[in-house]
Amino acid sequence: MIRVAVIDDEPLARSGVIVRLARQADVTVIGEYGDGAAALSGLRELRPDLVFIDMRMPGMSGLDVLAALPAHERPMAILLTAYDSFAVRAFELRAVDYLLKPIDDERFAEALDRARQALAWRTSVPPAPVAAPDEPARWLNRFCVRVGRKTVYLAATEVEWIEADGDYATLHVGDKTHLLRESLQRLCERLDPALFMRVHRSAIVRIDCVTELQPLANRDAMLRLRSGTPLRASRTYIEPLLGRLRGESVAQSYLHDCVGKTSRD
Amino acid sequence: MKPAADSDIEALSSPPFWLPILAGLPIGLCLIVMALPVLGHGHATAYRTLYLLAFLMWIVPLTALQRGLWRRRTPLWAMALVLLATTYLMSLANNALGAALAVIAGWQPASEFEWTGLFSGLDGCWLALIAFCAIHAVVAYYAQLKQEQHRRLHMTALVRDAELRALRYQLRPHFLFNTLNAISALVAENRNREASDMIVRLGDFLRATLDGSQGHEVALADELALTETYLEIEKARLGERLRLKWQLGPDLLSARVPCLLLQPLVENAIHHGIARRTAAGELEIRIVREGDRLCLRLSNDTEPASPADAAPRASAIGLRNIRERLQKLYPGEHGFEAGPRPDGGFEVRVSLPFREASGLQDASA
Repeated sequence: MIRVAVIDDEPLARSGVIVRLARQADVTVIGEYGDGAAALSGLRELRPDLVFIDMRMPGMSGLDVLAALPAHERPMAILLTAYDSFAVRAFELRAVDYLLKPIDDERFAEALDRARQALAWRTSVPPAPVAAPDEPARWLNRFCVRVGRKTVYLAATEVEWIEADGDYATLHVGDKTHLLRESLQRLCERLDPALFMRVHRSAIVRIDCVTELQPLANRDAMLRLRSGTPLRASRTYIEPLLGRLRGESVAQSYLHDCVGKTSRD
Repeated sequence: MKPAADSDIEALSSPPFWLPILAGLPIGLCLIVMALPVLGHGHATAYRTLYLLAFLMWIVPLTALQRGLWRRRTPLWAMALVLLATTYLMSLANNALGAALAVIAGWQPASEFEWTGLFSGLDGCWLALIAFCAIHAVVAYYAQLKQEQHRRLHMTALVRDAELRALRYQLRPHFLFNTLNAISALVAENRNREASDMIVRLGDFLRATLDGSQGHEVALADELALTETYLEIEKARLGERLRLKWQLGPDLLSARVPCLLLQPLVENAIHHGIARRTAAGELEIRIVREGDRLCLRLSNDTEPASPADAAPRASAIGLRNIRERLQKLYPGEHGFEAGPRPDGGFEVRVSLPFREASGLQDASA
């Protein structure tokens, strides 16, 4: 069990985190605090493994609280912030990730996974072995989509990129688009990671269609696909994407990206 | 309008006429100091006084000449040649004056006068005049630098203003309210996941709008990212009714564009075009490089009933805002056209000088 404390001066913000944590089987919330001073004494007493802590609070800021704790008592931290840029100092204070408000569920899951991995490392329990993607037969290699009344089969290699559309997904094939009744999440698990990769919460791209990558000021990146479509890539997917564009094997980067992202629920 | 503004800048970019002359006086002082040891020897006092007065006289036309050359944007080497030649002639004239003085005062008989004598011993006068030109150049350069700084500050203020106006105009209240309304509808229908997604996107968009405050130009990639965050919200709202067609040319992601250029244009096209249609509408965004220009074209379907009439007028404020900002950023170097398409849609074309972001620091032209 991961023992978690939630620190934010706004009760609704705290409950937003707590509700999301309640969906996780391996997490238990042992405390919540509304200000820095209360948090400081509470943290020393309860010694949680992980804290979700707001950067900006009246009196003591989140970083102040972490800095006030002696290093060996300092829990791992996920910072919550509305607009601040992420301080470098935060890394020294054992921050594993940060979440922007309003909180995106998917990013929340990622941050938690990151903390899980870091905790496993810290308690020197080897991370659970991951099955290598060695069964090519199980990858989806074609889609069947409806066009009017007929069913059309599309080879996966024809699809340039896939866009999330609620519980559906839009396949982009040249100038045409086809709607598929499947969530992006599901597709990400079923598509061959050697060919396709998720680059954003709402986009999967066929790797060989990416022709340009330009980093942005906020550490995201902009991609240009061969067809002339610009596509945003979020920072969490960029490292594995760069690896793949450099030609690293799937297994190497597969461990990095898909596992962390698909293992929730 | 434009030539007037140009001459304003020209007039301001050099210091007032008397300033370099005043700055040249220390050289006059140097001439006096250098003359001190020889005073009293023969007719040195008279010669030196003559040279000093001649120097003071020459710097007035010299200043005028140097400014004239600047104004005509003479290349540096040509300017150096002209000034060297002129100052040489001036020092020759000084020597001639000295010789004339000697002859008139009777210190030297006219028969002993030799033409070649005029060309020797020029160093004192000539160097002083050259030094004066150098001081003048430094003073003018400094003034120009100040002017540039001033212009840049002014520019920053304008950008700030544009940003604020952009936030006010472009993040139109109806866009915000429509989005909030869509979110509340999702909540009412218990589609919590989608509602929370939409809120996250709205947050992303607001953040991105606020992030772009470092300079008046950003890489095209940044502007595209902002536009995409915006489009994600519109896609969720309009669903199938919005069909997007992108055509982004190769090697343009690092091109410099004004921040908040594309997003407001896209919003305009959606708000006044696509969103008013009952049927699906297409928005085509084409960004290509043509020679040394970056060309953007947005073309969208509009409401079939009023192809040319309502849409342009309603969107006039947004478009005018962009036109004004382009005018401020690229005076005389931009192109902006907006109007109905012959087949009933609406089209906006923007062209800018193509420049690449070499780093993140802004370097205004």
